Amino acid sequence: MNKEEMKTEVFEVNMGPQHPSTHGVCRFVLKMDGEQILDLVPHVGYLHRSLEKIAENRTYLQYIPFTDRIDYVSAMFCNYAFVHPVEKLAGIEVPERAEYIRVIMMELNRIASHLVWFGTFSLDLGAITPFLYAFREREKILDLIELVCGQRMTFNYFRIGGVSRDLPDGFIKKAKEFVEYFKPRVDEYEDILTNNPIFLGRTKDIGILDQKTAINFSVTGPSLRGTGLKWDLRKDEPYSVYDRFDFDIPTGKKSDSWDRYIVRIEEMRESNKIVEQALDSIPSGDFKKKVPLTFKPPSGEVYSRIEAPRGEMGFYIISDGSPKPYRVKIRTGSYNNIGVMPVLCKGVLIADVVVIFGSLDVVMPEVDR
Amino acid sequence: MNTEKIAQILKKRFLDKVKEVEVFDFKPAFEVDSKSILEVCKFVKDSPDLSFDLLSCMAGVDRMDGFEVVYVLFSFKHKHKLTLKAPLPKENPEIESVSFIWAGANWHEREIFELFGIKFKNHPDPRPLLLPEDWDEGYPMRKGWKGADFIPLPQE
Repeated sequence: MNKEEMKTEVFEVNMGPQHPSTHGVCRFVLKMDGEQILDLVPHVGYLHRSLEKIAENRTYLQYIPFTDRIDYVSAMFCNYAFVHPVEKLAGIEVPERAEYIRVIMMELNRIASHLVWFGTFSLDLGAITPFLYAFREREKILDLIELVCGQRMTFNYFRIGGVSRDLPDGFIKKAKEFVEYFKPRVDEYEDILTNNPIFLGRTKDIGILDQKTAINFSVTGPSLRGTGLKWDLRKDEPYSVYDRFDFDIPTGKKSDSWDRYIVRIEEMRESNKIVEQALDSIPSGDFKKKVPLTFKPPSGEVYSRIEAPRGEMGFYIISDGSPKPYRVKIRTGSYNNIGVMPVLCKGVLIADVVVIFGSLDVVMPEVDR
Repeated sequence: MNTEKIAQILKKRFLDKVKEVEVFDFKPAFEVDSKSILEVCKFVKDSPDLSFDLLSCMAGVDRMDGFEVVYVLFSFKHKHKLTLKAPLPKENPEIESVSFIWAGANWHEREIFELFGIKFKNHPDPRPLLLPEDWDEGYPMRKGWKGADFIPLPQE
């Protein structure tokens, strides 16, 4: 039978909601011609907890534990993204030591978050060893964070005006040990994956995202830096005490999946550098500024954004002068990054959907909130 | 470009269609007549002096006496910021979609529609985003909305 006689038809495949590569609950409806994707429609909302509505019924302090649940892989950033605009609104000056502790915690969390991505991304591609390596190191970071705030995932550590408690004795020494331990580990990851022919075959030239499309779809974070744009809020719009540390912003060249991979790998090194510098120069002093128990910021509106592991994380907060926020809007990196999936996946093979989705590093609770 | 200059350009171009308002960050902020939002958005994106290419955030707000759609913009080229606000009436709030200008607005608008009931005209894909498909309990982010199983907090 020759090709003309063969009848083909377009068919639809449901990928998810419970698919191992969606890292949470997300459904893609794929319109396929053979193995080729004609159209991809993402369906989200399975993890919608209405965190924005909850905020309107809680005081500012009560809402901090809820922010942990926005992105449980990098909860420190969600904490910070919420308390930072509130402090701005109320004009609270945070003690220097508190800011240093925050930076140390956030950068450790960034490494942990990138390690989760690194492990699961390689797992999606069929490599199991990197996953085990990544979680070995992540365990050490979580141990460190547990020492400080008693939690391993939902930290609830930052407060308006500082952090909930000071660093425990011996933390600095332990953290310095980790920094030294972690330095050669990144090389180890690179040895297994970066130039692996199978890995290169799966990621090189797959999911090319040109810069204009990325900006048009509001893609931010490592995925945007992968397109070659040197843009990092820590450097370009310094918040906290980031302007005191010396670090680079890694960027990609071809904006394919491999570039997004290498940007995150390099970012782990840079974060480790920041932690090292912060540990060396942490000042003594207060870890929290005294804030009245019934905290009422003056009425006003503020939008403030930070560089989270998955892109720009921003809180748009409207205060009417009462103890509860009038409106909280949460802008997360994943929410906008997943929106570009239909564009990236047009015409690719079904196996590449997993790679492209993995390389965007989307965490579903952050999308649904 | 500094905030005053952006304010000047917008005031000169749109006269009484825009009104400057106060915000804490992402200055300047303007209240825009909701009928001319498309025109203003097109201008701030395409004008080479402004070129706001990133729609950083978009939020719906229930102001009790009406609604508001907030656009938080940023320009990678000039590194400057802008906030636009479009007030809408309480009854049948409706505004032009800006998805054709910034593709990133697509999901934000879908979300605002299902949570606030603000209609976006000419939206390319007006399906609900986050809520269940069979949702028929109204618009949950509106002030005063209460779910069937809502239990109020004990008053202190």
